[in-house]
Amino acid sequence: MKKILYLMAMACMMACQNDDTDFSAYTSGAISTIRVISITYNGNSVTVTGDNKGYVSATGADVTVNAADNDSLLLVLSGTTNDGSLLVFRDRKYGIRLNGVSITNNDGPAINNQCGKALYLELADGTVNTLVDGAAYDETKSYQQKGALFSEGEIVFNGAGALSVTGNCKNAIASDDYIVINATPSITANSSTGHGFKVNDGIWINGGTLDINVTADAARGIKCDSVVVITGGDITIKTTGDCVYEEAEADYSSAACIKCDYPFTMTGGTLKMTSSGDGGKGLNCADVITIKGGTFSAITTGGNDDSKPKAVKGDKGIILSGGSFYAKVDKSWACDNGTDSEIASERVTVVGTPSEASYEKKEVKVVF
Amino acid sequence: MRRFRTVALLALSAMTLPLMAQSEAGMMMELGAEKKLSKKVSVGLDAELRTRNNLKTIDRWSIGLGAEYKPIKNVKLAAGYLLLNDNFRESISYKTDGSYNNWRPSYWGIRHRLYASVTGSYKLTKNLQVSLRERWQYTYRPEKTVERWDFDNAWWEDKVRDSKGKNVLRSRLEVEYDKKHALLTPYASVELFNSWAIEKIRYTAGANINLSKQHTLNVYYRFQDMRNVDIDDFEPDMHYIGVGYKFKF
Repeated sequence: MKKILYLMAMACMMACQNDDTDFSAYTSGAISTIRVISITYNGNSVTVTGDNKGYVSATGADVTVNAADNDSLLLVLSGTTNDGSLLVFRDRKYGIRLNGVSITNNDGPAINNQCGKALYLELADGTVNTLVDGAAYDETKSYQQKGALFSEGEIVFNGAGALSVTGNCKNAIASDDYIVINATPSITANSSTGHGFKVNDGIWINGGTLDINVTADAARGIKCDSVVVITGGDITIKTTGDCVYEEAEADYSSAACIKCDYPFTMTGGTLKMTSSGDGGKGLNCADVITIKGGTFSAITTGGNDDSKPKAVKGDKGIILSGGSFYAKVDKSWACDNGTDSEIASERVTVVGTPSEASYEKKEVKVVF
Repeated sequence: MRRFRTVALLALSAMTLPLMAQSEAGMMMELGAEKKLSKKVSVGLDAELRTRNNLKTIDRWSIGLGAEYKPIKNVKLAAGYLLLNDNFRESISYKTDGSYNNWRPSYWGIRHRLYASVTGSYKLTKNLQVSLRERWQYTYRPEKTVERWDFDNAWWEDKVRDSKGKNVLRSRLEVEYDKKHALLTPYASVELFNSWAIEKIRYTAGANINLSKQHTLNVYYRFQDMRNVDIDDFEPDMHYIGVGYKFKF
């Protein structure tokens, strides 16, 4: 019996190797299969290196990349221009590394990605990057332009650098797909004309620092036609705009720090929202709001002349089961879960036993 | 000592078997305990460890709990649960031009398995018995996020392997020479794994060594013939040397 156990132990000791293919040369960076094109903005001109396929053309500092081949591509941007842009046409996913770049485009987006696949936008560690659009776009173009940083496909933010995006005509950052924020980037999105983030198919915030300021009437810090999911990060959103009467809707449309059409879910991170315009809301969700973790705060200080400035509005419910929740208003109700109850505690659904809970019409606090 | 040498030689010989194309050698090591609750009912606890890559890589370990019931003399019903921890092989995908697309390294993941079987046996002669076992098994793999190397972008990215359940019908035909009070009970079997198509066939030849009423040793050679494997998957045929020990209370 001992011999059998000895044999088994020997077999286990022999079986200690990995049978994976050795790709260490690739994963360590010794072998690279990626095509790297560096674009350096120098005022009214650019310097391009690594473009041995002739993808890049430039008129002054307005750069167009037509990368039709089925290869791997990384565009590395650096330098400064006060009258330049980047416009990319491509069918495959690719990456842009912002390596200390400042682009201001007076007649359109600073970066316009016309690729419908994923754009991996890396903010190089330790760099500061700035994107600013003009007050009026050249609308004769055949492609869409929805913000200072616009992408037809999804945007996946990565890296640990800083990015400041200012929208002076439409939105600051816009995607006709979805947006994911990973790693620890520091992103500031300011807009005096539109939304901070305008995204169609959902936004997932997993880390980083996000600072959004919008000032236009009826503008949203994050305007999302789908879900909003927050698992990490440090997010601050501020709106100051008033509500606006929409003729088509025959109703008022109000500003909101976050407006989403599908569920809002938070499991981690910190979200701090303040809205000061008339009827301006904190979180306005057409579906259910679920908070399982993290620190959530929504404060509105606006009046209720034309619309109600609720701090948290979830048309299909507000469910709290973890983390910390705080909602406060100067006017109207702090929370609205679609029930129209006159009892403040019935306007949220608390799952579990919070360590602290107070329910007032204008102030609700629940801490787990 | 002689028995031990035999087992050791069988194990060492497995290292030369992978010389055959698209095949690897491995070991299956099993430990089991069985307790008879009555004449017809027994329960058991089993643990198994498998290796692959010519015995150099641990492929799986599992523990399981099962029960058997013999309603009549030649029929046996069994059911149980297995917790499997698999070392899933790496996966490499290629682009149409033949270059690398993604590489997902091997990783460890849990699976859960439920099974139920019915075995019918028939004595051809006084000592020669044939049996047919039909075993249904359902295996569930929970969702797991693993890392994948993207060659295009030269970075690691998360890949979610979705949860997945799979039904398999295993059909095993076995012939056994079981002479009362004999030290050895040799046997041979062929087992088909069917999940809408035959996925593998196991051919096994071995012997139970009846050391005493309580202690049984099992030694076997098994060839596992993989069928209908996806072209992108690397699932080689396997030559196994198996060693098992069972203690009966």
